[in-house]
Amino acid sequence: MSTPGGTDSRIAELEAELQSVKRREAEYRVTMVKEFLDRGERNTYLHILRHERAALIRREQEASADLEILTRKIEDAEARISSLEAQLQAAAAPKDRWGKPVVKPVPAPALPPRPMLPGAPFTYYLHTSPFRIYRDDAFTLRGWAWPEDGRPITAVRVDVDGKLYLGRTGIDEPEVVARYGAQAHNPTPGFEITFETPAGRHAFSLEAQLSGEEWRSVMRTTIWCDPRAR
Amino acid sequence: MSESDAQERWRTSRAPLGDRSNYKKVWEAQSRDVDVAALAVAGHTDEATLELTARGTIDMLKSTVGIDANDVILEIGCGIGRVGLPLSKECLHWVGTDISSGMLRHAAARLASRPNTTLVELATVGLQELPADSFDLVYCTIVFMHLLEWDRFRYVEEAFRVLRPGGRCYVDNFTVDTETGWKIFMESYSYLIDRRPAHISMSSSREELRTYLARAGFEDVRVHDLANGLIAATGRKPEAH
Repeated sequence: MSTPGGTDSRIAELEAELQSVKRREAEYRVTMVKEFLDRGERNTYLHILRHERAALIRREQEASADLEILTRKIEDAEARISSLEAQLQAAAAPKDRWGKPVVKPVPAPALPPRPMLPGAPFTYYLHTSPFRIYRDDAFTLRGWAWPEDGRPITAVRVDVDGKLYLGRTGIDEPEVVARYGAQAHNPTPGFEITFETPAGRHAFSLEAQLSGEEWRSVMRTTIWCDPRAR
Repeated sequence: MSESDAQERWRTSRAPLGDRSNYKKVWEAQSRDVDVAALAVAGHTDEATLELTARGTIDMLKSTVGIDANDVILEIGCGIGRVGLPLSKECLHWVGTDISSGMLRHAAARLASRPNTTLVELATVGLQELPADSFDLVYCTIVFMHLLEWDRFRYVEEAFRVLRPGGRCYVDNFTVDTETGWKIFMESYSYLIDRRPAHISMSSSREELRTYLARAGFEDVRVHDLANGLIAATGRKPEAH
């Protein structure tokens, strides 16, 4: 339960964040105007194409955000369904002569092929959002990341239902470095991983190896690979 | 002469309107000397009065369309940068446009200490030098009186284009139904017919300014009576444009 004082400080925090976003957006427009003037593009076809490209990227990012929300909702709904099914089975179980439910041995659910790794706080961004409907046989995830404790990322991989796909690290991300500053142990924080996307729903986990030792999950979700597209 | 012949002659008549449309020539001529330039665009030459009147303009902008520290602002017809100098201290970036390169040279000297300013010379009427959807606020003050109606509307249309969705527009002029406006009108009235200068001040009506903004696509169009006796029209570019 938040106190009125706590609510006020949260509102102030959100307002400060909103101002910061507005400023970044305005700075981007100033840069765009200066570039426009420097190039002398005026209202050329090239400029229109640049605008359309920016709009498409923005639309794709919005669509990915919508899909992320939808995916999370589906995951919650699936968890609720499992819980309700368990309750239903318990209620429908046959009773013995004293009215107690006869417990039948229930086969244990299939264990995941590999235990899920614990997560860790990372600063990251995925250029190719995993929140999408997969229609091809494979997908390449691109992004950048570093752990907040500053350790170096020595490898990245994707786990799809227990099958592991190793990726490539050490890719330059000059714009990220310009914005966040150089990370001492992760000077080139970009990565890319290609993984197979067989039809159906799968557990997905993006994982990073820290200091050549332990693996930690950066983010996980479920993904849907459309069988009709195969 | 048949009526159709008469109409054809009327339609194809190329008698010039005079130099009023030739804004570049008229305003380059006014900009050769900094004091003449200041007088032409502001009515004063001393820096203290320029600063005082600029503050008055900024107050009018604040009371009609508002100014935010994160705003990217464009001025149409910035002249010697009278308003841009103090306004650039209150916004993220200020872009001044003018059709006269001479005016912009004076503006550049006055704005040398302001890194968040950009000056752009316009080739002709319009803002074709600038990209679409880029500015939070476009304003044009003490300029419409020197333009013909079509060119006023052209700038309003262009303001709409270069404003980001949700961006604000401000234009002003004098009108003959106020005491201040009538005084300006009578000053122009005093010129002999064949001695009227190309830059002579011409009024707008409230409905004229309101119509320009509405026709250009602005919403929430309002006409304001300003403290200095002028009128201003303001509008907002729709978010879902």
